[in-house]
This record gives sequence, C-alpha cells and structure tokens, in this order.
Amino acid sequence: MTNKNELDNDEALQERLKEIKNQKGIIGYILRSSNSAAVDLKDPQKIIDYAVLSSAVLDLSNNMTEKLQVGEVEKAVVESDETKLLSIKLGNNHLSIFMEQSVDHNKLCKELK
Amino acid sequence: MNREPYAISLNSALTEIKKTYPGIHHSFLFTNTGLIVAKDLETNEEVIQNIFESFDDLKEKTKTIGNINNFSVTGKNGKLFLSNVDDMYLVLATSKSVDESQINSITKIIIPTILKTVETLVSTHLQSKPEKKLIVDTISGFFAGDSVQIDKETLIDWTNTLDSDEIKKTKVTKEETSDSIDQVKIETFAGNSVLCKVKEITDPKLKVKNLIRIPEKICKSLVVKKGDQVLVKPML
Repeated sequence: MTNKNELDNDEALQERLKEIKNQKGIIGYILRSSNSAAVDLKDPQKIIDYAVLSSAVLDLSNNMTEKLQVGEVEKAVVESDETKLLSIKLGNNHLSIFMEQSVDHNKLCKELK
Repeated sequence: MNREPYAISLNSALTEIKKTYPGIHHSFLFTNTGLIVAKDLETNEEVIQNIFESFDDLKEKTKTIGNINNFSVTGKNGKLFLSNVDDMYLVLATSKSVDESQINSITKIIIPTILKTVETLVSTHLQSKPEKKLIVDTISGFFAGDSVQIDKETLIDWTNTLDSDEIKKTKVTKEETSDSIDQVKIETFAGNSVLCKVKEITDPKLKVKNLIRIPEKICKSLVVKKGDQVLVKPML
C-alpha cells in the first residue's frame, strides 16, 4: 500500500520533472513505476520508439552490471551524435530523460536527487 | 582485415593500461559484428559474447537517436564504460572512484592512437607483400587434385611484384606462363592456413580475376566454402 511519504515524493518528483521538461535541450521523459508510467515527449509520435529504447537501455545496463559485477544499476547514460538518454533509478521509479547532446546530464542528476 | 597485429598491440595496450590505472578491472574490445579483437585475461569470452548480444539488441533499438558513441553505467560497486572507437567498441569496467578524465584519455586518445599506428604499420607492411584477398570457388570430383587454381593475371602480377632477386630478373608478360610461383599460402580470417601448389585456372569460363579455386578437401581443412574470402600469399 502506498503511504503518504511516497505520494509526497512522487508529487515532488513530478514537479521537478515539469521544470526539467521546460529546460533548453530537453526532449522529454518517461517515468515508470511498478504499476504506471508517465510520458511527456515533445514529439508524441516517437513515444513507442523512446519507450522501447528506454527499456533496452535498462536491460543492457542490468546485464552488463551483473556480468561484470559492478552491482545494482544506479544510472546509465547513452550518447549518440545528437541525442543523449539519462536512465536513472529514483526510489521505486525508473526515469528516462531524453535530451540534446549539449545538455549537462550530471547537472540534471543533481537536480533530481 | 588481418586483425592479428591489432590483437597483439591492443592486448599489450590493455595490459599496460590496467597496470597504470589499477581502478580498471575488466577491459575488452569487440567489433560491430561481435568479433573479439582484444581482451584482458580476467574476462572470459562468453561474458563478452553475451554483452555484445545485448548491446547489438540495443543498437537496433537506438536507430531513432542514431549511432551510439558512448554508453556508461554507474552501479553500486563500480562503473562501466562502452565507447565507440573506430568502428569498434571498447568496454571498461572500473571501480566507482575512477577518474573519468583518465577514462576519456584512454577511449579518446590512447586506444585511437594505437589503432591508427597499427593501421599505418599494417598497410605499409602489406604494400611490400603482394598478399591478395581472393574469393573461394570449390573444385570437386575425381580430378580435383591437390593444387589450387588462380587466374593467370594474378599470377603474373605476383611474379612481377615480387623481388626480382627472389624470382626472376625479367618481367613476365601476359603471354608467358608464370611458372615462377609454385606454391601459395592460403589464410582464412579465422586464422586457419595451408600451403599448397598453385596452377592457373584452365577453364575459360572461370578465368575471373580475384577467384581462387580450391579442391573440396582443402576447403574442408580450412573450414571455408564457396564465396568466402581468403588471404592468399605467393610463395617461392
């Protein structure tokens, strides 16, 4: 059963995500919990592509950390020429933020923790 | 591409890097087709293969954002870095406290410099040796024999290219038979090799450039089939 603290934390996280979403270079985010998901992307047509990518990043991170024995995943970052994906565990939630290459993902991590 | 010089140089480089940066626990390099180019002694090939398969799956799904240049993971007890280096992928598993600027030096300066140096050395070396990549065609049947067959033009090129002291002082013309080269060494990209007699292709329909006709039993020992590429080196 969800307690009040968790609800407060979730609400605070949603607030922070709204702020982050408006920052320059942020493409959008996918927030998954055990029983729901919140998606906010600038290009809604790409929801499926980004959801598949977010899930594949999580799978690869878990597989690599297990095989190379570096412990449970805290965060993962994927970088292509123009785009970056920050995948981070926040309590019971798993957050994927998509952004342009120029965005400082370490700064975002600090804002979220 | 003959990956042996790469493997030797990169294995040494990874060993030295590990000695210099004790925070690195695992290091290996694979191509975008999953071929392991170099690895440290601590990481077994099954682990690398498994990681490559997951990574390949991710690559398929990242088409929406383009090619992956870097992938990094922070775990509770350490960090992982997967970096694209000249169409290959370098993976480093490190302690959590590792200095990321050192990792950047390795992935962006040290390994690319080694690759460039080896590439230059290999291409210079190849220019002086007339090795050729040829496509396999099989010879079957009772009269297959033990000799491989190569087109006359390639045999003449080799005869002309090889050191005149070693072969002949006068250049061979296309009309002459290039009987200076008796044997060739055939190497597969998996590392199998065999030395065998060579003749020119007699069947006019098969006188195709860059083709090597190999008797079936030699194909079996080399583990190659029709259409595969092999590296062929003329021998005196």
